[in-house]
Amino acid sequence: MPDLHVLLQDKPGKHVLLLGNEAIARGILEAGIGIVTTYPGTPASEIGDSISEIAKDAGIYMEYSTNEIVATEVAGGAANCGVRALTAMKHVGLNVASDFVMTLAYAGVRGGLVIVTADDPECYSSQNEQDNRFYALLSNLPCLEPSNSQEAKDMTISAIEISEKLELPVLLRTTTRVSHTRGPVVYSRVTKPNLKGEFIKDVKRLVMVPANSRPKHGVLLRKMEKAKEISETSPYNIVVHEGKNKEFGVISSSSAYNYTVEAADLLGLDADILKLGMTHPLPEKMIGEFLKKHEKIIIVEELEPYLEMQIKAVAKDYAPNVEINGKMSKQYFPREGELSTRAVAMGLAKITSRKLPIDFGKIDENFAEVARDLPPRPPILCAGCPHRASLYVMKKVAGENAVYSTDIGCYALGCAPPLRAGDIMTCMGASIGTAEGISKVISQNTLAIIGDSTFFHAGIPGLINAVYNNHKVIVAVLDNLTTAMTGHQPHPGTGMTGMHTPSERILIEKVAEGCGVKYVKVVDPFKIKEAEAVLKEALARTGPSVIVFRAPCALMVVRERRRKGAEIVVCKITDKCTNCMACVKLLGCPALIVEDGKVEINEALCVACGLCASVCPYNAVECAKMD
Amino acid sequence: MKEFNVVLAGVGGQGILLAAEVLGTAAIKEGLNVRVSELHGMAQRGGAVVSNVRIGEKVLAATVLEGHADVLLGFEPLETLRSLKFASEKALVIMSDEKIPPTELAAKMMKYPSMEEIVEKIHRFTKNVIIVEAAKLAKKAGNILTQNIVLIGALAATEKMPVKTESVMEALRELVPPKHLDINVKAFKLGYECVKKGKTKL
Repeated sequence: MPDLHVLLQDKPGKHVLLLGNEAIARGILEAGIGIVTTYPGTPASEIGDSISEIAKDAGIYMEYSTNEIVATEVAGGAANCGVRALTAMKHVGLNVASDFVMTLAYAGVRGGLVIVTADDPECYSSQNEQDNRFYALLSNLPCLEPSNSQEAKDMTISAIEISEKLELPVLLRTTTRVSHTRGPVVYSRVTKPNLKGEFIKDVKRLVMVPANSRPKHGVLLRKMEKAKEISETSPYNIVVHEGKNKEFGVISSSSAYNYTVEAADLLGLDADILKLGMTHPLPEKMIGEFLKKHEKIIIVEELEPYLEMQIKAVAKDYAPNVEINGKMSKQYFPREGELSTRAVAMGLAKITSRKLPIDFGKIDENFAEVARDLPPRPPILCAGCPHRASLYVMKKVAGENAVYSTDIGCYALGCAPPLRAGDIMTCMGASIGTAEGISKVISQNTLAIIGDSTFFHAGIPGLINAVYNNHKVIVAVLDNLTTAMTGHQPHPGTGMTGMHTPSERILIEKVAEGCGVKYVKVVDPFKIKEAEAVLKEALARTGPSVIVFRAPCALMVVRERRRKGAEIVVCKITDKCTNCMACVKLLGCPALIVEDGKVEINEALCVACGLCASVCPYNAVECAKMD
Repeated sequence: MKEFNVVLAGVGGQGILLAAEVLGTAAIKEGLNVRVSELHGMAQRGGAVVSNVRIGEKVLAATVLEGHADVLLGFEPLETLRSLKFASEKALVIMSDEKIPPTELAAKMMKYPSMEEIVEKIHRFTKNVIIVEAAKLAKKAGNILTQNIVLIGALAATEKMPVKTESVMEALRELVPPKHLDINVKAFKLGYECVKKGKTKL
């Protein structure tokens, strides 16, 4: 969707093809939400990005906060002044925000607050595939789960309404297939957002010291009782299909519901289907009655047996003898990875003793023949990516023996051959603290590799720790002047805000100095010799050091050149080339291809960064370095 | 039309998501129900990218079931192979002949398979293959980046096309910035004519 202003149109009844995330953005407009905060993360990013593009026109305040807990605090603060707010993050972002969320549940909110968590079954773009519905259970917050774009929009509005009714934040949980699937959405009316709040002082309600929070726990549990009533009559919890077959009753939610309907159709299984859209708290009575009507229950859900565990508890009270089939003791459906129509059809076929109408085995066998010598094509650093240069320099100077503790961002792709500059990676900001622990107990050099946006997000406390406790680590901040992996969002080092207004840049080197780091240098990673010299100096020190490798993301550079209409003069391999393959083997650049044993430049990909020219032992690459 | 499934497969940066959105938007213009699946973020960086377009009243899931794609739109030969398991026996494969060798091939000094080997593999799944010189036609249209629209044009020239050409034009006007519209329309026409006039490589 190149022109996001389509989202602003106040045309009730209009049909538009929207991504789940864009549909949530539309829901924000229809719900009259005034404050939208986020930290970008796949698969949540387009919610904030869409709002950022239209915020000024819509009269919304939007910000890319430094991390998810700050984003939630900003939204929560505004909501406690009566202004409707929404914060959006990827699933692991909610781990970061959880400290605030757990206690905000006690204090509650006055204006509606929606917390969008976008889960990533199959780890398409994430370090884990945790099921965040458990956060609803853990925090006692209501949870809505859309299965398509239309519901994503509608549930955003419902979530605000439920939030205000209960004075409690509400979780809106999507998955990659909901967030990143386009489907038809019918518009309703746009509501003008209200940004004018009022802070009403109320210590007992808002100051969570033990004396105040103790009774608040009970208040929260009573709110949950009210939430159960809402869930019992929610339009999102309904028997969507009454089947002729009364032996089986199927219960499902979110994307799993879509696969279930199509798989049942494929198998000719005409059973009752209960679809759950409000999955915390569950409509116990409704589920209990559904259990009573069937001999056998089939629960189809993605990732953890979240529904199954709770429905088994409901069965104890309502229908103790009902047979429940899911992914716990009877493992009919996978608990890992994302579901598919195939996986659901296979499980349903087993449970109902039906024959699959498709021979998947034959397809697999046939495909195995095709796939046998198919080279993989994993995601890689782009041609011209400055991280390639930074990582090359680090490996050249610190060597194979050093330990490279890396972090969340494009540069994590550098763990692959040939660079192999990434030995350990866990979560946002963990590179620095992890490197400190490693450095304490091994004799080799330890380097932490962290991106600019990640540094601001969660790197600073680790850096202060390195200074104060004098850990001998080199912190390499790979500053490409943007949040590249998630789609080039601004961060505090870029000088731009989510409202597209300029702001004073916060320089990473100044932050490092402020934290007390004695050795702080900024280098251009493409000036290989200079960067090498600085790194050697840092390695000779006994305490922590920070090197900022600064060069803009290659995708931004190319986009800017295209905008200006500047022609890219690609690198050229001259006849000095001996085909020694040094460039290919050292860099793994996608623009370097080998045809019949000869190195060639892929002209469609080369952006003339000149890195191959720098590493060529025979000076055989001509590069007209551009600015 | 009961259900119509297209799998689009290629390499990050080839405009696969736009091509899928064009088909999806054209379907919406005709009042059809549609699902278009996309992948963003790390999954995109120069790696294999797959998008699905599903059209039909009862369509709910974002992804195509193995053996159920009516059309496999291959933006790159190896990536076409990687998505073959989705092709039905009657599927039409429309494939660009533009090779993008994975970096691993260069690093391991392996050869990119020949076009004959690739077609032979496709034939294991379906006999209907059209090979389009998409890159050449895109350059002729004025921009190498319009290979995606060349392939949509090629699809439009076949009986498998699920939507009308006017709807595609309407979608292009909505989705492509005005200054690039002419080039994209030209790319569509070149892809269309190439198939209509039988100027494909197979």
